[in-house]
Amino acid sequence: MNRKGLTIEKIQQALLKEKYICDRSLATVVYLSISMGKPLLLEGEAGVGKTEIAKVLSEVMKTRLIRFQCYEGLDANTALYEWNYPKQMLRIKLEEVRRGDREAVETEIFSEEYLIKRPLLEAIQSDGSTPPVLLIDEIDRADMEFEAFLLEILSDFQITIPEIGTIRAKLRPYVILTSNRTREIHDALKRRCLYHWIDYPTFEKEYEIIMTRFPQVRALLAKQICAFMQRVRQMNFYKRPGVAETLDWVSALITLNREELNEGILGETMGCVFKYREDLNHLQEELAGKRLDLDQMMKESPKLQA
Amino acid sequence: MEYSDEAVFSAAARFSAVRGQGTLKNLLAFGRILKQVGIKVTLSQVIDASRSLEFVDIADKEDFRAVLRSNLISEREGLPIFDRVFDCFWRDRSLEEVSVEVQAETSEDKSQEPVGAEESLEQEAEQDSIQESRQNEEEESILMPTYSLNESMNKKDFSEMDTEESRAINRAILLIATKIATQVSRRKKRAAKGDEIDPRWTMRKNIKYGGEVIDLVLRKRRIKKTRVILLCDVSGSMDCYSRFLIQFMYGLQNELWGIETIVFSTSLSRITHLIRTKNISNALEKISGSVLGWSGGTKIGRSLYTFNRAFALSLVTHRTVIVIISDGWDRGDVDLLDREMRILKRRCHKIIWLNPLLASENYEPLCKGMQVALPYLDLFLSVHNLNSLITLGRTLQKLVA
Repeated sequence: MNRKGLTIEKIQQALLKEKYICDRSLATVVYLSISMGKPLLLEGEAGVGKTEIAKVLSEVMKTRLIRFQCYEGLDANTALYEWNYPKQMLRIKLEEVRRGDREAVETEIFSEEYLIKRPLLEAIQSDGSTPPVLLIDEIDRADMEFEAFLLEILSDFQITIPEIGTIRAKLRPYVILTSNRTREIHDALKRRCLYHWIDYPTFEKEYEIIMTRFPQVRALLAKQICAFMQRVRQMNFYKRPGVAETLDWVSALITLNREELNEGILGETMGCVFKYREDLNHLQEELAGKRLDLDQMMKESPKLQA
Repeated sequence: MEYSDEAVFSAAARFSAVRGQGTLKNLLAFGRILKQVGIKVTLSQVIDASRSLEFVDIADKEDFRAVLRSNLISEREGLPIFDRVFDCFWRDRSLEEVSVEVQAETSEDKSQEPVGAEESLEQEAEQDSIQESRQNEEEESILMPTYSLNESMNKKDFSEMDTEESRAINRAILLIATKIATQVSRRKKRAAKGDEIDPRWTMRKNIKYGGEVIDLVLRKRRIKKTRVILLCDVSGSMDCYSRFLIQFMYGLQNELWGIETIVFSTSLSRITHLIRTKNISNALEKISGSVLGWSGGTKIGRSLYTFNRAFALSLVTHRTVIVIISDGWDRGDVDLLDREMRILKRRCHKIIWLNPLLASENYEPLCKGMQVALPYLDLFLSVHNLNSLITLGRTLQKLVA
């Protein structure tokens, strides 16, 4: 998809084609990000589709996805580049054995061939007709120093490697940052980006997502699952399930040929939705204490009657 | 960030003179209102918002809203207040008016505009940005916050504060905690001398020797996170003190340690995931509904028993500092408390006990629970007012550094 002639509707439709249900406000922000060249910061609970949209966007724009996963202890080297020291050492040794030209070798070992390129450098050096999508995933897991470093990169999109020179991006990548909000991102980085919070989906949206991804599933089952998820997300679980879990669950139920939801089936497949022992116990307690009552939920929910 | 509708309306009314003066001015005014209701908005964000408008059809109200929101709001908490201010500010302006203004802006004869209003807004905007950068500098350099709380406030007992004072203290707490945390982190970087070999740089440096390792390159020891676990007694009167402590500890949270928060009274609940933001009091309001037995008596021994079995395995290591805040009145079995304290002490690095009763002059830990726990404690401190929190902060500084 060309950047020119892009509209909000086209983005929404293109995402839908790739089976990503996107509401208009998110499509607007994505559109702005692409048109203005401003990075996009997506915050939200786990499993609501933050990482997913970057992948889908790269399909839609027919461009490469460069994914950079953040973690605690991450530093600039891991993000940019590192010299392949062992290879350099071997080259030197080889030259010694041959009694060749030491000086020429020294120049050679600091060339691109001996450079291990990491995601951010790849994103900057990328050439092709369309800029790549650079996904910086879970930026909240990295520390403040890394944020400061990232801020510099996002401003200029250029890196200086002392032995080689300054490398500038020919085409600025489309940058998407995601955060699970385990800590606050520094203001300076936030303000550099367009911001969007992705919430858990509504009943209708989640139903649409399920039916789009799994057209073969029975409508009633899908609705029961949505009702269950809506209820469960309001309860006091340690890790509330996201859309990713919903889809896993639907997939499991299809594989097991289950056509509707009851307590037995729930018990069998709960591992798709809850991954913490505390949560599984809590669920059992709530079911036993009738604070979560499947039958009642099915009877009372107006959306299930429709 | 709770602001009444009146506050929002009156703020919006102040800027009603801006109508008909162009989109950028309207946006600047809108930005100022957001600032007044507590959302930090910079001039560059407003300008970006203005640029963004060129890409959408601003007659569509929802698109217009999305454009402004994505540029001006940077956190989830700001979304509801943004919507309220947006609806209030832009409701009387039909967006066709605004789009007409945009077109007219380019061809308008400037001399026809009321000069005073135009200049004053632009001046204000300039002043704002100068002020902002000055404020940012100030925040970097001062060691203690220069808010106008007087000495008596620092000494006032938390349990005696009314809502206004509580709010002021909460702000002060966050500010102080941030200062302390930054100081610790800076000091750590300077002080840590190289005592570990850096293999990557060593190889780099030894290339000139053709691969023989002759020079060693040392590096700072990588700072490992200490983990702090708060065990907060939230029964009855302890509730009030616990809240301030939680606020404080969350202000301290930075790269040096991760904080887990667990509240207990007759039972125990981990609430770390519920407290993600700096707006602790709102989060705690939400919690008290869901935590069982919030204001019953306290069963400290029982709660520690649960903690040791449910959480200690995954959370407590030899680097963990446990901070318990309680008055020590255990309604349950004191022998149980003794056993569980012993188990906990074996696993963790240090145990700090905070007791607001320590502040009263004649206090001696006469209640059984406190007597039983005392031998296991590394530190026993009070936590009843701002000064005591500051002392706690300094103590933690030394502990973690």
